[in-house]
Amino acid sequence: MNTTEVSLRVANVTKRFDDFTAVGDLSFDVCAGRVFGFLGPNGAGKTTTIRMIVGITAPDEGRIELFGQPMTAALQDRIGYLPEERGLYKKMKIADQLRYFAALKDLTGKEADRRIDFWLERMKLAEWKNKKTTDLSKGMSQKIQFVATVLHDPDLLILDEPFSGLDPVNVEFLIEVVAELKARHKTIIFSTHLMETAERLCDDIILINKSRRVIGGTLREVKESFGKNLIALRATGAEWVLEDRALVADVDARADEKILVLAEGADSQVLLKKLVDNGARVTRFEQIEPSLNDIFIEKVGGDNA
Amino acid sequence: MRKFLAVVKHEYRKIVLKWTFLVSTLLLPLIALCFAFVPMLIFSIKGEPTRIAIVDPSGKIAPRIRENLSADKMREKGEKAVKDSLKKLDATTDEKIKMQAQQAEESFILTDYDTAGKSPEDVRRELNRKITDKELDAYIIVPQQIDAETATVNFYSRKAGDFVAKGTLEDAVNAAVYSQRLADAKIDESKVKQLSQRIDFRATSIDERGDEKNLDWVMGVAFVLGLMIYITLAIYGQLIMGAVVEEKETRIAEILFSSARPFELLMGKLVGVGLAGLTQLAIWLVSASAIAVYFVAQMAIAGQEIPIPSITPAMIVYFLIFFLLGFFIYASIFALIGSVVTTVQEGGQFAFPPIMVLLIGFYFSFAVIRDPSSTLSFWVSIAPFMAPITMPVRIVTEMPPFWQIGLAILLNGAAIAGLIWVAARVYRVGMLMYGKRASIPEIWRWIRKS
Repeated sequence: MNTTEVSLRVANVTKRFDDFTAVGDLSFDVCAGRVFGFLGPNGAGKTTTIRMIVGITAPDEGRIELFGQPMTAALQDRIGYLPEERGLYKKMKIADQLRYFAALKDLTGKEADRRIDFWLERMKLAEWKNKKTTDLSKGMSQKIQFVATVLHDPDLLILDEPFSGLDPVNVEFLIEVVAELKARHKTIIFSTHLMETAERLCDDIILINKSRRVIGGTLREVKESFGKNLIALRATGAEWVLEDRALVADVDARADEKILVLAEGADSQVLLKKLVDNGARVTRFEQIEPSLNDIFIEKVGGDNA
Repeated sequence: MRKFLAVVKHEYRKIVLKWTFLVSTLLLPLIALCFAFVPMLIFSIKGEPTRIAIVDPSGKIAPRIRENLSADKMREKGEKAVKDSLKKLDATTDEKIKMQAQQAEESFILTDYDTAGKSPEDVRRELNRKITDKELDAYIIVPQQIDAETATVNFYSRKAGDFVAKGTLEDAVNAAVYSQRLADAKIDESKVKQLSQRIDFRATSIDERGDEKNLDWVMGVAFVLGLMIYITLAIYGQLIMGAVVEEKETRIAEILFSSARPFELLMGKLVGVGLAGLTQLAIWLVSASAIAVYFVAQMAIAGQEIPIPSITPAMIVYFLIFFLLGFFIYASIFALIGSVVTTVQEGGQFAFPPIMVLLIGFYFSFAVIRDPSSTLSFWVSIAPFMAPITMPVRIVTEMPPFWQIGLAILLNGAAIAGLIWVAARVYRVGMLMYGKRASIPEIWRWIRKS
């Protein structure tokens, strides 16, 4: 990673509420033009961290730097934040609310109107411009909220559970828009607990649990460092071979196949040979990498069960 | 600063561009006028006439009572009362007295009762039976001898609570006995009246600048003014609370706080809504002046004497200053409440104490109208929370020394500074707390810590 391209640096940040530590000594960098997955179970400290990044609250300890500068109110205009808990003014016209949210990001006048038209068009909501929130469906308001987030063309986008409440078609649509923003060298922080989506979108991730970092890095690094050799096996016969703890550490039986966790230092070739030698009929034997979901459950599941 | 202005503009437009703003601008003055006039109307509605039997063995008093309760006599009495209270008898008062006299006459039906050959016990028994049978509502027993100092006239009534009727009747009976005594003593009653005529003691209140004022008019204006400030402050306070709760309830606060400083947001909200309030007041002031000018012109054309209202530009400036002081005091309290509750309904319960304080201020304005230079009036018109209502009322009734106005502005300004300081601290934490209402110790901690 090129350090000059770091758009957000969180360094040793701690936030406490009375005796409760919401975020403990958290550090990570987010680079420009990449999608950064900020993952963790509910209550892990994600929202608290995001609130510190967007300048709603200040950290008790540590530093937050945005585009190489310490966080200030002026830098807030370069962030677009879509909170998980979000809403719109109920009795206000869509265009009026968007104009207000733009003005709060210091974007006013004709330029604001031009961009509102552009984004409503892009979101296929142009005909709703002069309608009120109460006339909109949940998915539509969601897309309006997204427009409010990107209207002022922020360099850093923070999307907290952006897909909740959207139908699959709109999820795909939004993913496409996010990809466009990424191509324009925007930095995107994407917070979710949907690991499938995160795995699809993110270049880098950090997983936090109970206020602390659990694992982080590029998606590849994380998967490699997880250090588990997984094998998808579909076979009949010689089941006793899998009982050999020197070869197989764990077996997860799925509907029509088994996911094997190879024992420390075991060779998959040895296992395959042993199965075949003992008369097993193997139809699938594939070395697979762990999914983010597996990592999430492994790292977090035990504590939060 | 630009964001602050964006918030101001947003809040202002949100209120002023709504049809409810137009409706309330039209309705509020009407409501205030109703409050001023409805009690008067209610008292002027007459009840059923009271049927009274007069038991007068002497036969001398009954005709006099009858005469005293006639419309003519009642009117004479009313006119005298007005003259005695040192007021000018103009056309409208005269009309009012005539109407009241007519009403008084119609509210009694008098019958004589023949006592011949009946013992007092029989009389009472028979009359009581008539009352029970609803043939009669009341009766009066006049003693044979009315000259005695201990002479008592007894009044028995089914409607003992009707104090207006009782008062009128008592006056009529007294006057009848008085006239009869004079007649018995062979004294000419008209001579006595002429001799005991009160002199015309004319009082006119003079304010600091030496202007004369019509007292009735001033009291009316002061009352309507106090009421309008009270209603406006209560409405705009609750408007602020509603707006704050909406932003908290819909979680818009999260987006707002990530875009601007909470203090900017809070102040922008207060100033925006405050300006909307000022707009409404300006509309009222301008239309009230227009109406006043129209009426004065009409009266001038009709050649009538014009009551010159002594409202000066300085008064209007003071009025606006005190409205703003009151607005910021109550708006910051309501904003604080809005940021700690979870729903508007919940906020409604918490709005009760500040509304009570406001109402007490409004009640004190009566004391101020009655005696604007009393010690009580001084204290309530400088007291924070109350001065925004009581001081303008006092200024209209009787201009206090400037240092007192200055002191009131200073004290209330200080209260605003303190309240906004507290409200800002509570607001920035409370707005991001979802799901539960903050407890008092929690709020206290936010104020202390942040």
